[in-house]
Amino acid sequence: MLTMEQNISPFIDTVQKYSAELNKNNSPDWFKKVRENGLSRFTTLGIPTPKHEDWKYTNLAVLSNTPFKPAARVALSFQDQIQRICAKDEITIVFVNGILNEQLSSLDNLPKGLVLLPLNKAITEHETQIKELLSKYKPTEDTPFVAFNHALAEHGIYIQITDKTVIEKLIHIVHVTQSTEASLTTASNFIILGKSSEATVLETHVCFDQSVYLSTPLTDIVLAENAVLHYCKAQSESLKSFHVGNTRVWQERDSHFDGFALMNGGEITRNDLDIISNGEGTSSTLNGFYGTNGKQHVDNHSSMDHRLPNCTSNQLYKGILNGESHSVFNGKIFVRKIAQKTNSYQLNKNLILGVNCRVDTKPQLEIFADDVKCTHGATIGQLNEDEIFYLQTRCISKKDAVKLLAHGFVEDILNKIQNPAIIKKLTILLEPTFAALE
Amino acid sequence: MIEIRNLHAGIEGTPILKGINLTINTGEVHAIMGPNGSGKSTLSKVIAGHPQYEVTEGEIIYDVNFKKVNIIDLAAEERAREGIFLAFQYPVEIPGVNTAVFLRAAFNEICKHQGADEMDPIDFDEYIRSKMKILEMDEKYISRAVNVDFSGGEKKRNEIMQMAVLNPRFAVLDETDSGLDIDSMRIVADGVNKLRNKNNAMLVITHYQRLLNYIVPDFVHILQDGKIVRTAGKELALAVEEKGYDWLKEGK
Repeated sequence: MLTMEQNISPFIDTVQKYSAELNKNNSPDWFKKVRENGLSRFTTLGIPTPKHEDWKYTNLAVLSNTPFKPAARVALSFQDQIQRICAKDEITIVFVNGILNEQLSSLDNLPKGLVLLPLNKAITEHETQIKELLSKYKPTEDTPFVAFNHALAEHGIYIQITDKTVIEKLIHIVHVTQSTEASLTTASNFIILGKSSEATVLETHVCFDQSVYLSTPLTDIVLAENAVLHYCKAQSESLKSFHVGNTRVWQERDSHFDGFALMNGGEITRNDLDIISNGEGTSSTLNGFYGTNGKQHVDNHSSMDHRLPNCTSNQLYKGILNGESHSVFNGKIFVRKIAQKTNSYQLNKNLILGVNCRVDTKPQLEIFADDVKCTHGATIGQLNEDEIFYLQTRCISKKDAVKLLAHGFVEDILNKIQNPAIIKKLTILLEPTFAALE
Repeated sequence: MIEIRNLHAGIEGTPILKGINLTINTGEVHAIMGPNGSGKSTLSKVIAGHPQYEVTEGEIIYDVNFKKVNIIDLAAEERAREGIFLAFQYPVEIPGVNTAVFLRAAFNEICKHQGADEMDPIDFDEYIRSKMKILEMDEKYISRAVNVDFSGGEKKRNEIMQMAVLNPRFAVLDETDSGLDIDSMRIVADGVNKLRNKNNAMLVITHYQRLLNYIVPDFVHILQDGKIVRTAGKELALAVEEKGYDWLKEGK
């Protein structure tokens, strides 16, 4: 007969060990409780297997055999690359291996109405706000990696914008990883927008070498009444990395969430975006692009929960697949019974350029109201022969035509981003995707 | 300029062109009319080098550097760089590709091919604007994606604008007038006439004689079942408009 110890995978063992170590430090008791609850939920749930409907196409079994350790403090060797994606006229917050690097960040002279604190300070100074935010989610609804993140929550950034404040500068959170052994990073970020406030936040996850790591960032966002957030999560990581991230968005009435996700892939990338529209008159944009090559695997899961009437959501995710890569798109839309006059649109378009790629795309609509407009669609295809011919008759070689059309496929979605500085940065992060076209 | 000899071609084993003979000299405009399915569009695509069509017999002889060359084995882009242009019946939309960027890439391919310097974006911008004026196109189209959200008429104007930019020696206009109202058709036809000169030649494919009042051809050919069954002057277009095509059938 097996004993309990033998049943617990080394992975869970690792999480238990490090979570317990964190709770030995001097965090407030309530936050220790958050870790304990996260740990107990993750221990129960474990690493999801493809038997679980939400994880059918993404197998994380490889994690259980990798001896991960919390990422260590390092001197970053890639400061030039960081400089390329940062700018002087933005508020930059750089985390190296999950740890805030004040030297690379620009945290001085913050505009009025903007609170920006590292997590360890925020949990004492903004306990009420964080507790209130966390209380919005029933623990049973948590995905395993939200629980995982809570179990190991230590680093992250807390951003709060005062009512009626518009922050013009881009707030850019950079997570860069550089590690010689298999490491773990868990960023826990909070973005809280007050009534009628507006901000633009870019969260980038980058790695400039072949580090092996598991990154499990969680960003919790709350938009108070009439607030507007332009939020982009962009990822271009090591081809040996695993990214299992969550972004949760809570929208109060008349707020607008304008979201974009760029998933340029590690070895396995899973990104969950969950939006709860908890007020009338909200609008939500969920756009995204993924570019994959080699044996990369990218899985985008989104959930749009319309809980009240007169709300709109628009979603367009596009992807280009090269090599033998695999992409997954799963778009849930819930329209609750009272959420009449909901207008919800979803489209997923995949362009396959490789010979041995795989796409799994799945719309998942659950509509309980009877006066709504919901449409969804998905396309998977190669470049159209007539399009290529058209370019050829305009003197452009077949090879260049393919490149131009693929670029156009990307530009088309990038152009939906309003902030030109973000487009510029994403274009840099997309270099591997464009290089694969050469 | 171009001489098509006994051209047989088809798609996926189905023969469509069954022995076309056609010679077009420099400075001439020829029109081809014919019923649906007679092979008009196939002919235009085979001349331009669409890879899906298979040429089973015959030659297309075209002047390249003052030499007569059979271009059957040249890729579409190589033919285009030698000055062959096709204005599409159904122009393709290219989302995300800016019209000016696209046309500059095309134009610079020709420059490269001719050993000339490439044109920089600022000069090209001026150049393309001058060509858009000929077609009375709104300048906003410069920065739009190619043909995306263009009306049918705007797409056709855009085809002729591209022709103006690329300045081909031999242009095939495939039903450029179809679906256009009279004002748009006049603008397109005026544009074509301005591009017409003694050093180039055109093949105008159309369903309707009306276009030929504006673009007056030197010769009209009637295509039926993959063959040219009659060739005459512009009056032939009026005759088929009135009497249809049946009286021209072989053996009659």
